[in-house]
Amino acid sequence: MNDLARVQVEEDSGRCILRIQGEIDISNAREVLSTIQASVPNGAQAIFVDLTETTYLDSSGVHLLVMLADRLRVRRQELSLVVPSGGPIRALLEVAGVPKVIPMRDHLDAE
Amino acid sequence: MAFLVLGRRVWLGIALGALLVNAPISSSPAAAAATAAGNTIAPFVAAELLRRVGFRREIDRLRDAIAIVFLAALSSMLISATVGAGTLLLSGAIPAGDFPGAWAVWWTGDAMGVLVVAPFLLSLLSFRGPSKGSWKRRAEAAGLFVLLTLATLAVVRTHLHLLFLVLPLLGWAAWRFQQRGAAPGALLVAGIATWAAARGLGPFEGGTLFARMLTLQAFNATVAFASFVFAALVSERMRARQSLELAAAGLETRVRERTAALSTANERLTREIGVRREVEGKLRERERQLAEAQQVALFGSWEWLIPEDRVTWSDEMYRIHGHEPQAFPLDLARAVEQVVEDDLERIRRNTEAALRSGGNHDIPTIEYRIVRSDLAERVLVGKARLMVGPTGEPLRMVGTVQDITDDRQAEREHRIAATLQRSLLPDRLPEIPGVTLAARYVPATTGLEIGGDWYDVLQLPNGHVGVGIGDVAGHGLPAASTMGQLRMALRAYAMEEESPARVVIRLHQLVQKLPISEMATLVYLVFDPDSGSVTYANAGHPPPLAIPAEGDPSYLQEGLAPPLGAAPAPDLYTESVFQLVNGSTLLLFTDGLVERRGVSLREGLERLRNEARAVGPELDLLCDHLLGSFLGKDASDDVALIALRPIAFVGEPLRLRVAAEPRALAPMRHTLRRWLRSVDADPEETYEIVLACGEACANAIQHPYGVGDGVVEIDLDLVGGEVRVTVRDVGTWRVPARRDGGRGLTLMRGFMDEVDVETGSGGTVVRMRRRLRAPAR
Repeated sequence: MNDLARVQVEEDSGRCILRIQGEIDISNAREVLSTIQASVPNGAQAIFVDLTETTYLDSSGVHLLVMLADRLRVRRQELSLVVPSGGPIRALLEVAGVPKVIPMRDHLDAE
Repeated sequence: MAFLVLGRRVWLGIALGALLVNAPISSSPAAAAATAAGNTIAPFVAAELLRRVGFRREIDRLRDAIAIVFLAALSSMLISATVGAGTLLLSGAIPAGDFPGAWAVWWTGDAMGVLVVAPFLLSLLSFRGPSKGSWKRRAEAAGLFVLLTLATLAVVRTHLHLLFLVLPLLGWAAWRFQQRGAAPGALLVAGIATWAAARGLGPFEGGTLFARMLTLQAFNATVAFASFVFAALVSERMRARQSLELAAAGLETRVRERTAALSTANERLTREIGVRREVEGKLRERERQLAEAQQVALFGSWEWLIPEDRVTWSDEMYRIHGHEPQAFPLDLARAVEQVVEDDLERIRRNTEAALRSGGNHDIPTIEYRIVRSDLAERVLVGKARLMVGPTGEPLRMVGTVQDITDDRQAEREHRIAATLQRSLLPDRLPEIPGVTLAARYVPATTGLEIGGDWYDVLQLPNGHVGVGIGDVAGHGLPAASTMGQLRMALRAYAMEEESPARVVIRLHQLVQKLPISEMATLVYLVFDPDSGSVTYANAGHPPPLAIPAEGDPSYLQEGLAPPLGAAPAPDLYTESVFQLVNGSTLLLFTDGLVERRGVSLREGLERLRNEARAVGPELDLLCDHLLGSFLGKDASDDVALIALRPIAFVGEPLRLRVAAEPRALAPMRHTLRRWLRSVDADPEETYEIVLACGEACANAIQHPYGVGDGVVEIDLDLVGGEVRVTVRDVGTWRVPARRDGGRGLTLMRGFMDEVDVETGSGGTVVRMRRRLRAPAR
C-alpha cells in the first residue's frame, strides 16, 4: 500500500488487531487512517493498534490515532494501543498526552 | 715460304741468302748469281701463283692442297731446276749428258722442299698461342709420331718395297690432327726417306742416281700429296660441320628469340584485350552506377531545348514524379504540371528572369513541391543553368532535381528526438542527503542521430538512493522514446520494489510486452547510506566500478544477466550486494565510454579501471577526466556516466536542502539519523531530535495536497555537546494545521531543551537545542 508503512489486520474472537510496521508521517498518515478504518470490521468490539514494530511516529501519527479513537467510539468500539514502555514511541505518546485519551499497554496479552 | 708469310718485299733478302749459299759451291760468281736468281725467282713465282688462287696458309681446303702441290712445288720449281741445271751446264760443271739427271735432282729437291718443308713451317704458325689439346690428344700425337718414325725406319731398312706401309699412319695423323699432324708427319717420313735414298739403303739400293731420286721424289710427292689432301679434306669437312652446327645453333637461337618475341607480343595483346574489356566493363558499370546513384540519391537530371520547346528527363526524374521511366515525351508545360501552384509561379518568374537577362548563367537554387498522381507531396530542390547561342539567344537549359522529402522528414524527426532526449535526462541531479553525485551525457558527434543512453537518480522512501543507467540500442526517435518509457517505468517500479532484482524483472516483463525491437541494457542499484551497502542487478550492461579512495578500483560484476526482454526466464535477473567502504566512489557508465573500434570491451574496461584509480574529492573532475581521456574528437556512440559518493560525516555540521514536500521527509530523517549517530547521540536522543526536526519541517511544508515547490533548509551542528538545529523555510509560517491537532510544537518543546520560532517576511526560522548525554568525542 504505502512505501513507508504497512498495516496488518488480524481478527481473533471479537478482537481486531492492527499491526503497523514502518514509519508514519504527514506523507502517509491520512492513507494509513483510511486503511485502518476500512479494515476494522463492524462486529469487533475491541480494537488494538499495535505500534511495537512502528519505527517512527510524529504528530500527524498522533493525530491519526486520536481521530481513530474518536470515530471508533462513535461506533461503540474501543481502541487500545500496544506500545512497549521505555521506547521512543511511548515517550512521544506520553509527551503528546495520548494516554489520557486512549488506553495503552505494553504487550497485547498483558492487561 | 718467306714470300708467303712476309710478302714480296723480302725478295732481296731471299736473293742474298741464295747467293751466299750458292757462292761457295759454285764454280764462278756469275754461276752463283745465276743460280741465286733462279732460286729467288722460283719461290717468288710460286708465292705469286698461290696468292692469285687465294691460297690459305692453313692448307685446310682441298684447293689449297692441290695448289701447293701443282702450282708451288711441281710448276714453279721447274724454273729453279731449269735455271740451276742450265747454269751448271753452261758453266761446264757438268757434261751435257748429265743435264737430265741434274735437272731431275734439282727439280725434285726443290719441289720436295716446297712440298715437305713449307707446309711444315706453315703448320708451325698455327701452333702459336696456347695449346688447346687435352692430355689424351697429346699422348696420341706423341705415340703416333713414335710409331711413324719406327715404321718409316723399318721400311727403308728392308729390301722389300714396303714404303707405302707408312701411308695409313700418315692418314691417321691427317685425320686426327689435320695439317698439324700431316705436315710434320710428311716431313718426318720424307726426311727419313731422303736420308735412306742418300745412303742407298733398302728400296733405294742399286740403280742410278736419277732412278733413286725419281723413286724418292715420287714417294715424297705421294706422301705429301696424300697427307695434305687428306688433311685438307678432313679440315674442310670439319669446318663444314662446324659451320653447319653454328648455322643450326644460330637458327635455333633465332627461332627461340622469335618465339619469345611472339609470345611477348601475344601476352601484350592478351593484356590489351583484357584491359580493353575491363575499360568497357567499367564504362558500363559507371553508367549503371550513375543510374543507380541517381536512384539512390533521388537525383534526377533534365534538359530543355528552348527553340523547339522539347524537354528530356533522366529515368530518375520520371520516378521522382511518380512515373515509369521515359513514359511520355515532354515539353515545358508538361514538365512542370505537377508543381504546386505557388511554387510554379516562382519557377515561372525565375525562368523568365533568366531568359531576359541573357548570357550563360546559373539560375538560383529553388526548393519546391510537387504532387504526384498518388497525391503524395514531395519536396524537391532544383538547380539549373541557361546556355545561349553566339548571338545571345537562349538555346537550352539543363538542370538537376533532388527529392529531399525524406531528408526534411529526418530533420524533423531528429529535432523531435533531440528534444525528447533532453527532456528525458534529468536536467539536474536531485540533491540527495548523504551522497554527492555527478553525471555527464555526451551525444555522439559523428552522425546526427540521437542515442539511447540514459540515467536516473532516485531518492527512495526508505532513505536509500536508487541509481539506474541504461542503453537502448539504435538511434533516433524510436530509441529515444523507448528510453523514455524505460526511465519512467524504472521510477515507478523503484518506488514500489525495494529489491533491485525485482525492479529489473518488472522492467524485463514490461519490455516483453512492449513492441520494443531495440536491445535495452540496464544496471540498477540501490545504495543504503546507513550501511554503505550497494545492492545491484545487471541486465546486460557494463558493470559499475567501485573506486576506493586508495587502491585498485574493482567492477561489480556479479549477477550479470541478459539484456531486458532477452532472458528466457525472469529469475535470471538476480541481485548482489557490494559493501562500499568509506570514501569510495561508485561509477556507472554506458559502453560508449570504453568501447572503441578495434579495442575489445575487456581492454576498455581495464583501461577505465586504471584511469579511475585514486580519484580526487571532486566527482565533477573525475567525470571530466574520464571523458577527456576516453573520448576523442569524434565519439561514434553517445556516452552517459554517473558518479556517486556517500558523504562521510566527520564532525562536520550537516547542511541539508530538501524539497518542501511530505515525501522528502523520510529520506531526510535517514540523513539526520546518520549524522546524529556520527556525533554519538544515543538511539533515544536520535529519535527525539529527528522527531523535533520532522515537526519543524512539517510546519514548513505546504499542505500535503497543495502544490509545493519550496525548499526547506536544515542545519545541524554540534557545539559544546549540544546539538543545535536550524530549520528555515522561505514560505510563510502557517498556523499549525488541524492535521496534527496542534501537537507538533508541543512535541518539539517536549523533546528539545530550547525551541525558538521566528517568523519574518522572508520566511520562518525554527531554532532548537538539545544537550546530549554522552559528551561528543
